[in-house]
Amino acid sequence: MKTRKPSCEHYANVVLKNAKFWNGKSFELRDEVRLTGSSSNNDSYEYDCNGALVLPALFALGVDFMEPLRDDVYTYVDGVDAMRRGGFYGAIYESAANPIDDVDKLTAADNRRPCDFNEGPGGTAYDIRFLGAYSKGFGTDSLAEMMELAPGVVGFGDGNAAIPHSRFLRLAMEYGKMTGKRFFFQPMDKTLRHSGCVHEGAYSDMLGMKGIPRIAETIVAYTVLETARFLQVPVHFKQVTCGETLDLIRNARKQGMDVTCDVGLYHLLLDDSCLETLDSAYHILPPIRSAADREALWKGLEDGTVNAISMNHTPVLRQDKVVNFEDSVPGALSLEIALPAIWQKLSERVGDARAIELLSTAPARLANAVRGENHAAAVVVLAADKPHVVVESDFAGHVCNSPLIGKELPSSILATYINGVWTDLG
Amino acid sequence: MSALQIKHLFGLQGVSKQDIRTILDNAKQFREILERPVKKVPSLRGMTVVNLFFENSTRTRTSFELAEKRLSADTVNFTSSNSSVKKGETLVDTLRNIESMKIDIVVVRHKGTGVPKFLAEHSNAIIVNAGDGAHEHPTQALLDMLTIEEKLGTLEGKNVTIIGDIRHSRVARSNLWGMSTMGAHVTLCGPSTLVPRNTDLMNHVTWEPDVKKAVANADAIIALRLQKERMDDALLPSMREYRNTFGITEELLECAKDKVIIMHPGPINRGVELDSDIADGEHSVILDQVTNGVAVRMAVLFLLAGGRNENS
Repeated sequence: MKTRKPSCEHYANVVLKNAKFWNGKSFELRDEVRLTGSSSNNDSYEYDCNGALVLPALFALGVDFMEPLRDDVYTYVDGVDAMRRGGFYGAIYESAANPIDDVDKLTAADNRRPCDFNEGPGGTAYDIRFLGAYSKGFGTDSLAEMMELAPGVVGFGDGNAAIPHSRFLRLAMEYGKMTGKRFFFQPMDKTLRHSGCVHEGAYSDMLGMKGIPRIAETIVAYTVLETARFLQVPVHFKQVTCGETLDLIRNARKQGMDVTCDVGLYHLLLDDSCLETLDSAYHILPPIRSAADREALWKGLEDGTVNAISMNHTPVLRQDKVVNFEDSVPGALSLEIALPAIWQKLSERVGDARAIELLSTAPARLANAVRGENHAAAVVVLAADKPHVVVESDFAGHVCNSPLIGKELPSSILATYINGVWTDLG
Repeated sequence: MSALQIKHLFGLQGVSKQDIRTILDNAKQFREILERPVKKVPSLRGMTVVNLFFENSTRTRTSFELAEKRLSADTVNFTSSNSSVKKGETLVDTLRNIESMKIDIVVVRHKGTGVPKFLAEHSNAIIVNAGDGAHEHPTQALLDMLTIEEKLGTLEGKNVTIIGDIRHSRVARSNLWGMSTMGAHVTLCGPSTLVPRNTDLMNHVTWEPDVKKAVANADAIIALRLQKERMDDALLPSMREYRNTFGITEELLECAKDKVIIMHPGPINRGVELDSDIADGEHSVILDQVTNGVAVRMAVLFLLAGGRNENS
């Protein structure tokens, strides 16, 4: 049973003392930094960071808050609560269950959006953008109304649905090209996936589980790239899982194509040895691949092939995880624990500046949501060396599906301050 | 309190040589009891065993039920076709409802890998795996091992060749773990679409695509049933080609040792993986396997329940 609910206050100003503040190039120890929020409350608040890092708030790719499918269990309010706990000022929202394939659905989604979880619908503290569908209902071969959707969406994608056939892919991109928007794909060939639910590798064969081979991803990535090259359409690959796909992207860029990609948080943190536990918490799609694949993704972060880290934040009902692995629903929460889980290793491997780019500016750029000098403050206070053991109450809403529950993270979020909303997690 | 190091039997991967030895030795004693006019012992009197079968099974369920009855346990059979599972009840709820009826041991078969372990995490009952997906079928492997020891004296140093649909076979996986632990050398052979694609974690066994080479040094050959229900797409061109390439025939046995024993977990597809002449011939120990199945299951149930029953 969850009990923890981090405090949440509205302050027009926050004074952070004794903080290592990110100045755009490096962390600089300052006695005092005054931040201005956008709260209607004129109060000011003082907080001693005790030498913790203060970095720009993050931007999430691949979040799904389940609404309106099970809004008794998880809602936009819970999702925004997760964002404030995790230090995210914005996100690209993709609903797997409720495709935004016409303007009415876009309007409905926008109206449900509570940008400040305390203020309810209509607030503006959290910047949630939407992806439109390119097919009606995801995975069909009927075009969505992309021209009408275009002004309100950051791009077009069909969630995790498979492309029905190559001709429709061509037609969708050919039509969508008129909008000038980017197409987002999670490459997965449904016939090669078959009924697989884990990475096809040594562990799946040892355990007798049906696997999803890497070529299920690369074949679709290749098809998409060839179509995009032919039509000159910008594309983005979501949650790439293996080095072979990154090689295709590298080659495409060498030929001048506008291709971007992200990799999933858990694909950087885990490998398929976790399958030995047979714990449904590790049931995530696309699948967690081998240690060699994971290392290839890290190399992609280092050499610049990977543009951003995706959260793939997917709430799953408790009862859908309390079953055996193969019958469980895939997905994991990530917003609340992403930064403390990955910061230390990420900054070690790619440096502080690139780490911030991967978690904040680069994903925001994909949504055209980069914050400028005039924006209200949005920061995270992170104790990089203070471990945190993940507990259920770290997560917002009535779900807690994460493979990191019970695990010790190397860092802790102490507080977040986003557009006037101060959250104390210390 | 189990008389073994393990508390449940999920599979043979990771089970110690000592535990397997204890099970096989006990099974030999139960095998003797099965030859007596009165085949029943009071070891599990007062205990209740539920056979929770979510997949069709005739011989395994019958074998377990016989083992339970011969240990004097009360037994309940539960199949998904006549249960609340059909009405949408979850696996955990099914188990908890059954457990509320004060049962002691659950024997479970399910299509999903890891279901026995999952049930053990949500229950206080002793869990015995009667087959989980393509993962493990430990009691089948134990009865195979008992049969080999009975016929060949020991598993240590023996060459055991398993032929057929390895990829979808829980029997093969349990055998390769158990027999390797007991000192046998296991060779696996089958068509390339029916063997595991990644064998890095099973590198203690030999993979031999040439069936004649695979049987040449074998002391025991286990032919696996060609599991048609698991082959839902084009994994093989025809039964005819399979029989001609990988079937156990008189012609193939000419490449094997004179005293090789032929085993099969059943049910046999006669004329596909095993010719009738071989299945009924002098090399076949298939019916001994069936008898040993009851003895092995008695031993497993008895040992896992050891200390729990005042009557034992």
